[in-house]
Amino acid sequence: MEQFVQQLVNGIMAGSTYAVVALGFGLVFSVMRVVNLAHPEIFMIGAYVAFVVITGLHVPDAGLDVLAALAVFLGVLLVAMLTTGAAGLVLERLVIRPTRGTYILTPFIATAGVSIALQNSAQRLFGPDPVRVPSVIPAYTFTLGGVRVSSMQLATFLTAVAIMLALRYYVHSTRWGRATRAVAEKPDVAAACGVNVNLVSQLTVGIASIMAGAAGVALGLLYTSAAPFMGLLYGLKSFICMLVAGNRHIEAIMAVGLLLGVVEAMVTGYISSNLRDAVAFALLLAVLFFRPQGLFGSYEV
Amino acid sequence: MSSSLSALLPAFWVVTLITAGLNTIITMGLYFSNSAGALSACHAALAGVGGYVAAVLTTNFDWPFPVALLAGAVMGFAIGMLLALVTLRMNELVAGLTTLAFGETMVIIAFNLDYIGGANGFMGIPLQTTFAAVYPLLVLVVFAAWRFDRSRLGYAARACRDNPRAAAAMGINVPWVKTLVFALGSGIAGLGGGLRAHYVLVQNPDDMGFFFSLNYLIFWVFGGSYTFWGPVFGAMFLTILPELLRFSLYDRFIIYGVILTAIVIVRLQGVITRVPLGRRPFFVAWVSRLWRRPVPAASLGGSQGGR
Repeated sequence: MEQFVQQLVNGIMAGSTYAVVALGFGLVFSVMRVVNLAHPEIFMIGAYVAFVVITGLHVPDAGLDVLAALAVFLGVLLVAMLTTGAAGLVLERLVIRPTRGTYILTPFIATAGVSIALQNSAQRLFGPDPVRVPSVIPAYTFTLGGVRVSSMQLATFLTAVAIMLALRYYVHSTRWGRATRAVAEKPDVAAACGVNVNLVSQLTVGIASIMAGAAGVALGLLYTSAAPFMGLLYGLKSFICMLVAGNRHIEAIMAVGLLLGVVEAMVTGYISSNLRDAVAFALLLAVLFFRPQGLFGSYEV
Repeated sequence: MSSSLSALLPAFWVVTLITAGLNTIITMGLYFSNSAGALSACHAALAGVGGYVAAVLTTNFDWPFPVALLAGAVMGFAIGMLLALVTLRMNELVAGLTTLAFGETMVIIAFNLDYIGGANGFMGIPLQTTFAAVYPLLVLVVFAAWRFDRSRLGYAARACRDNPRAAAAMGINVPWVKTLVFALGSGIAGLGGGLRAHYVLVQNPDDMGFFFSLNYLIFWVFGGSYTFWGPVFGAMFLTILPELLRFSLYDRFIIYGVILTAIVIVRLQGVITRVPLGRRPFFVAWVSRLWRRPVPAASLGGSQGGR
């Protein structure tokens, strides 16, 4: 039972970053009907920004007191979010806008080219091997009734939750969020009502990229590594989370991200770590078989 | 044949051309499969199945190479038919995702089957595929595609892709055409996979994964998905391009990615289409595309793809 609760907690902690990356996929897909294959690479950029900033600051490994560590963590997060947000805006302007609205695979292939270029640029700049991201958060383990949570896990989880709450607030309670929902629902009608569809689309990719960048920082610090091809499998799994949930509800994507993390942790803990990566695909196959529109909502092409 | 060829071409180019030929055959399979409006994200898996079947037959059962190839193609055909039947009622996107999940499932199955080598891959395959084996088959496949485009089945398939409802009203048996065409393409992919297995000499489970299927999708869309020359050009060009870029070993895939993106932006429907090439220089065309007014997303799908 204790092991079960421990795996549950681990799964929720790991799954929260899946949820954040999946939300980015979902946002962009809902608003533009575009599968942004460069999204995982933006996530990878986030992890590398963390690496560059932290090694550049010469932060002593786990030698900071709590407040300084928190300040460094938030600073890194901010820099990474600004970088990836800018990257997202540029990506939308140069690649997605000229290709969208034609055939669903055209922006897909165009962003695939961007993703190949970004992966290999990272490889060129930082080498093919994973680099070590120093952990700024002091290693500390909280124990509650036999269940252990490390401080880094907690930081990752809290970051993810904060991002999800912020996104929820943006989409449901702001003017721009309402415009975003309108474009997702009916772009032509939204345009007729005076919504600047292009600007909303660009902002959406920017926001999705900001979220991916934050997730990249959190994950880079959690596993203390960043690698050029880290986005591949991670992005694919997050994409599957989005598909399993359907793109109608933000909450559904969050829930499925957490669910995937938990199921993966359970499979690792009770069956075998070899099968861990198979879980996502099994989940997708099962859901598509019974509910081809996703668990909680439809994706109309 | 191959000895006289190596006198003409450096060995490096023979290797590159054989790889390009193999990729082209598998991409032609994708062309057939998707010609009726399906979207397959698992052609690497279908090729892998063909490769495993052919390799096991030649290595463990000493079957002659052509017969084993044929068996691989038949296996691809059968699996493709099953897959097409399962995905028939889904919309294009969901069908594509189902094939994606299917491909990854095949990876996991191959990973856990010890008879075919499990995670290490199936090894000890005899070298059978030469230049002289690949290119006649490629010509045959391209010829088949050319005939297919002008056959009743080809017209029916394109009608299904453009507007299934109208096609059905014209008396086309849409489910049957879609299934048959998908299975045909899967068979061709199985054939290409068998050839590849006897050239690379090892068949890995990972070769069946989504990222390899994605490559074939890129070849297909990049070249132009509406004519059979499109995939031929896409696969040939994109296989040879990284080799041409070898002058800068580290940057070549960066350049490759940039070229891929730039060409897709300028030629939205692939390089080879029935749309004539513009007269404007490449860069001007790209820059002017940046100010193109995108079609609102909700009215998508009418011009191409259909639903």
